[in-house]
Amino acid sequence: MKRDSLLEQIGWLGAAIALALLLTIIVTLPSGAPPFETIYVLFKGGVGSMSKIGRVLASWVPLTLCAVGLLIPFTARLWNIGVEGQVIMGAIFCAGAMRPFDEGGMLQIAIAIIAAMIGGALWALLAGLLRVFGRVHEIFSGLGLNFVALGITLWLIFGPWRRPGVASMSGTQPLDMSLWLPRLGKLSVSWVGLALTFAAIIVIYILMHRTEWGLKLRAVGENPKAATLFSLGPRRRLLQSFMICGALAGLAGAVQVLGVYHRLLPAISSNYGYTALMVGMMASFRLGLVPFICLFFAILNVGSIQLPLQMGLDSSLSGVIQGIMVLSVFIVQGLRLWLNNKREAG
Amino acid sequence: MIVLNDIHKHYGRVRANDGISLTLEPGQIYALVGENGAGKSTLMRVLAGHTRPTSGTIEIGGETISYLTPTLARERGVGMLYQDPLDFPAMPVWENFQLGAPKRTKQEVIDVIGELSYRLDACFLPDEPVSSLTVGERQLLELLRLLDLGATTLILDEPTTGITPEQKQDLFNLLMKLAREEQHTIILVTHKLSEAYELADSILIMRQGALVSTLQPPYNEKELVTLMFGEAAEGVEDELPQLPPAGPTPRLAMNDTHFAGPKYSMGPMNFIAQPGECIGLAGLDGSGQELFLRGICGLDRMPRGVMSLDGKEYRSNDFNTLRRAGIQFVPADRLEMALFPALNLMEHIKLAFPDRRGDLTEFYETQCVESFNLRAHPDTNASELSGGNQQRLLLSLIPDDSSLLLMEHPTRGLDAGSARQVWNHLKGRCAKGASLIFFSPDLDEVLEHSHRVIVFYDRAIAGIVDREHATMDIVGALMAGKPISELMETTR
Repeated sequence: MKRDSLLEQIGWLGAAIALALLLTIIVTLPSGAPPFETIYVLFKGGVGSMSKIGRVLASWVPLTLCAVGLLIPFTARLWNIGVEGQVIMGAIFCAGAMRPFDEGGMLQIAIAIIAAMIGGALWALLAGLLRVFGRVHEIFSGLGLNFVALGITLWLIFGPWRRPGVASMSGTQPLDMSLWLPRLGKLSVSWVGLALTFAAIIVIYILMHRTEWGLKLRAVGENPKAATLFSLGPRRRLLQSFMICGALAGLAGAVQVLGVYHRLLPAISSNYGYTALMVGMMASFRLGLVPFICLFFAILNVGSIQLPLQMGLDSSLSGVIQGIMVLSVFIVQGLRLWLNNKREAG
Repeated sequence: MIVLNDIHKHYGRVRANDGISLTLEPGQIYALVGENGAGKSTLMRVLAGHTRPTSGTIEIGGETISYLTPTLARERGVGMLYQDPLDFPAMPVWENFQLGAPKRTKQEVIDVIGELSYRLDACFLPDEPVSSLTVGERQLLELLRLLDLGATTLILDEPTTGITPEQKQDLFNLLMKLAREEQHTIILVTHKLSEAYELADSILIMRQGALVSTLQPPYNEKELVTLMFGEAAEGVEDELPQLPPAGPTPRLAMNDTHFAGPKYSMGPMNFIAQPGECIGLAGLDGSGQELFLRGICGLDRMPRGVMSLDGKEYRSNDFNTLRRAGIQFVPADRLEMALFPALNLMEHIKLAFPDRRGDLTEFYETQCVESFNLRAHPDTNASELSGGNQQRLLLSLIPDDSSLLLMEHPTRGLDAGSARQVWNHLKGRCAKGASLIFFSPDLDEVLEHSHRVIVFYDRAIAGIVDREHATMDIVGALMAGKPISELMETTR
C-alpha cells in the first residue's frame, strides 16, 4: 500500500473541512444562530487582533507539546489516554519545585521545568508499568490515573498548598513575577514556550526518523512478537515511549503554570491532553500535520470566547465544532479507503 | 451437474482465474492440483459463493447465473470444508452441528448425528466440547454438518493436513462411499500428487490461473509433474548430508527438562542432538512439538531441569541469552510472528544485524540477493513480498554462525521450487555443522529431511526413531498413540 501524494492528502483534508462546515451549519441552525456569521465570529475571535493571536499561540504551545509527544507511544501502537493526567502531574511537580522560591530567575524556572518533565514522565511510567507487567490496558489505566491526578491537585489546592487565609478553586498563591516565563513582546505567549515547542518538534522528528531507536520502536509497534524474536527489548522500549510522551506532557503542564496561570489551578490542564488525542487522530499521527491542526484547534478555542459575547451563544459550541471536525475526517478517511478498495477490486 | 463457463477473477493486474471452463459430474471425485498461487482456492471460493467472479457464468441445477452467494451456494448443495475447521471449539458437538441448520430440539439434533454417524461409520458424543476432538474428528463433524445441510457437492481444501495416516484412510474411504453410493460430487483441493492418484476419477491441473489440463487414469506421473510445475520441476534436491561421527560435546543436551507453555506443560524430557543433525518433529497438532521448540529457544518457561548447548549448561532458558549463544527460532506464521509487515527489507536487515553500521547496501546485496536470490528492491515492505520471498528474507536474517535452528514448518505456503531452495539451504547449513530441529504437518516432509524423528503424542515424547526405522507406518502409529515398545517388537 503506497501512501498518497501530499497534494492528494491536502485535497482529502479540504473535503473533510467542507464536510465539517456543512455539519456545523446543520448543528447551529436549530439554536437559531446564523451559521456563517457564527463561523465568522469564531475565526475572527481567534485571529482578529495581535493580542488574540498571542492567546492562540499560548494555547497552541501546550496542545502541540502533548500532540507531538503522543506520536511516540502511538508509533508503538499505544493509546496514551493518560496524557491529560501527565499534564496535571507536570504542573503539580512544577508548582511544587517553585514552592521554596519567593523570587528568582532563569535558574529556578529551569529547575521547575525539569521537575515538571520528571513528574509527567513518572506518571506515564506508572501507566506503562501497569501495561507491561500488570497487563492493564493503557486506555483504562490512563483514564484512571487522570482522575487520580485531578484528585491530587484538588487535595493540594484545598489542603497543604492552600492560600493563606482562604482555600478556593482559584488555586494556590500566585508565583512572583520574577518566576514567570518571559513574554514575547506584549503578547500573552512566552517565547520560551514557543522555542521549547519548536525544539520538541525537531527532537521528535530526529528521534523517530533518523535514529535506530525510532526504527526499533516502529518495529515494536508493528509486531511485538517479532520484536521479541529480534531481541529488541520490546518492554523496555514501550516504557521509554511512555516516558518521553509523559515528559512532553509535563513540559506542557509547566508552561501552563509558569507562563499562563502562574499558579496551580484545578483546571490547569485545560483539557489539552484530550484535545491533543483528537489532533493526533485527525493527523493520522503524522508529525508534519500536527502543528497545523493544533493551530486550527487553538484558533477555535480562543475564538469560542467571542460566541457568548457577540452572539449570545454558549462557548461549548466550539467543542461541538472540534468534535465535528474529527468526525468528518474519519468519515472522509473511510470514504477514501472504500474508494481505494473499490478501485483495486474493479 | 455444475458447469463453470469461462470464469475470470482479476485482482488488479493479477489474474487469479483466467478463463476457466469446467464441468463437474455427480458421482465423481475430482482432484484439483496446482502450486500455491495457481488459483485453486479462488476457483473454489467462486464455486462456494465467497468470491464474485469478474466475468463468466455458472450453470448449477439447470440454471445459469453470473455469481453465487454463500446462501445461494448452500441452497444448491455446495458445501466447502476449509483447511482449518471453521468451528467453535468451546461449544459442544451438537451445538456446532446445529449451527446454520433450521430450528430443532436437542434430541432431534442428537438423532440426526446418530443416524449420519451410523451411515458413515463415525462416532460422536453429542455433549463433548469440540476442543477435545482431534483435527481429523473435527473435519469429519464438519463434513457431517455439510451433509445434513443438504450438500451434494463437497469441496475439501487440503483435508489431509494435520491428521494421521490412519485418519486420512478413513476420510478417503468415506469420500469414496459418498461418491459411489450417494452420487455426491467430491472436489479435493491438494498439492500432494499421491493423494490425487489414490482417490481421483480425474485430476484437474491448474497453473498460473488457468486450467492447463484434465487427466484421466492411468496417470503418468512425469506428465503430471511437468504440467503442474512447468520448468521449476527441473531442479536437484540435495541429499541429506552425512552425519559426522558424534563428538564429545553434543550440540544440545536436555536433562530431565520440563517446559511450561500457556496451555500445558511437559516433561521430564531427556534428549541429545549432535552438530550437523537434522531432527524432525512429528505429531498431531497440539501434541507438544510446538512447546518443545518454544521451550528450547526460551519463549516458553523451563521450570525444572537443565539444558546444555555446546557443553555450556543453562539452568534457565532466557531467550536473549540463548539467542546470543546461537539458537535461532523461525516461526511458521511469518507475517504474524516473525516479520514487520510495514517495514522494508533494508530496515529488517538493520534490525537483525545491529552490529553492522554505516551503509548496508552492499551487505544487502551479498546477504539477500546473492545467497538467497531474493529479487526485490530494498525499499519493498515485507507485507508486499510473496510467501516464498518472505521465507527467503527470514532465512537471510539468520546469522551465519547460528548453531541451532528451530523451525516451525519451514516450507509453509511455498511452491515446489521455493521449498526445494529452502531445504537445500537448510541442508547446506547442516553440512557446515549447524543443527536443525523442525516440525511440519506434512509427514512426508518430516521423514524425508530428518536423520532422526521425534514423535510426540499427548504432550510427551512418544518415541525417537532413527532414519532407517522412520517409515510412514511406524511414525503414523506412534502419532496415533501406540506405545513404542509394542511397535519395535513387531518390526523385529
